[in-house]
Amino acid sequence: MENKIKITSFDEGIVIKISGDLDSSKTFLYKEKIHEHMRQIGPRYIIWDFKDLTFLDSAGIGLILGRYNEVERVNGMMGLIGLNTYSRKVIAISGLFSLMKEYASLKAFIKEEKIEQ
Amino acid sequence: MINEFELKFKAVLANELLARNAVMSFLSPLNPSYETLCEFKTIISEGVSNAIIHGYKFDNSKDVYLKVIVYENDVEISIRDFGVGIDDVNEARMPHYTSRPDLERAGMGLTIIESLSDSLHISSIPGTGVKLIIRKKLLPQYINE
Repeated sequence: MENKIKITSFDEGIVIKISGDLDSSKTFLYKEKIHEHMRQIGPRYIIWDFKDLTFLDSAGIGLILGRYNEVERVNGMMGLIGLNTYSRKVIAISGLFSLMKEYASLKAFIKEEKIEQ
Repeated sequence: MINEFELKFKAVLANELLARNAVMSFLSPLNPSYETLCEFKTIISEGVSNAIIHGYKFDNSKDVYLKVIVYENDVEISIRDFGVGIDDVNEARMPHYTSRPDLERAGMGLTIIESLSDSLHISSIPGTGVKLIIRKKLLPQYINE
């Protein structure tokens, strides 16, 4: 699968969809792209869509954690969608579920967290 | 021992992909599940990036050595570097311990390897490098016609 990042916005948030491998050779570039969007939108919510993710390790976990700290500063929230058994396991091992939850979809996140539209 | 291979490559982060794909190709004939194969890939990447980032401090003139042995019921992976070594192995094994917080890498590498494998042995003498020996179960699954 092609490695790419696609960032779309919704209300006060952004959805970051990462396809292919998220490893240490991509995280620097992806961080720049995410920051570019964050500067424009100033999101309070970040949703990671990992439906087409084929690889995850601690470099990717670091990318998620770094952005978590940034939305935390503006009292925001982070959510995860599209996890499979493998990505869920790596995320669980890393302890991220104590900071954010998994949702069935972006719609489910907006509904469950009562995000005002 | 059923099968074995060794690979030597330069300490360049892009070579993580080479190491992952080599292991994936090597184990694929054993028909592991997609999930198990992904776990092997994550283990390899964590070990290799530790060697490059911490062992060699991104000195791309240095070499990383990977060896994979397939046994009857499990696979042994060894990842070796001849870099600076680890002063305190127990400290390095702690979740969220990192000697390079600036790199935004979560300090979870060894914890992830430990959790995804059945055993992790770390030998290191400061100044002479690190050798990781990882074992993970893999029962060959033969396709039934």
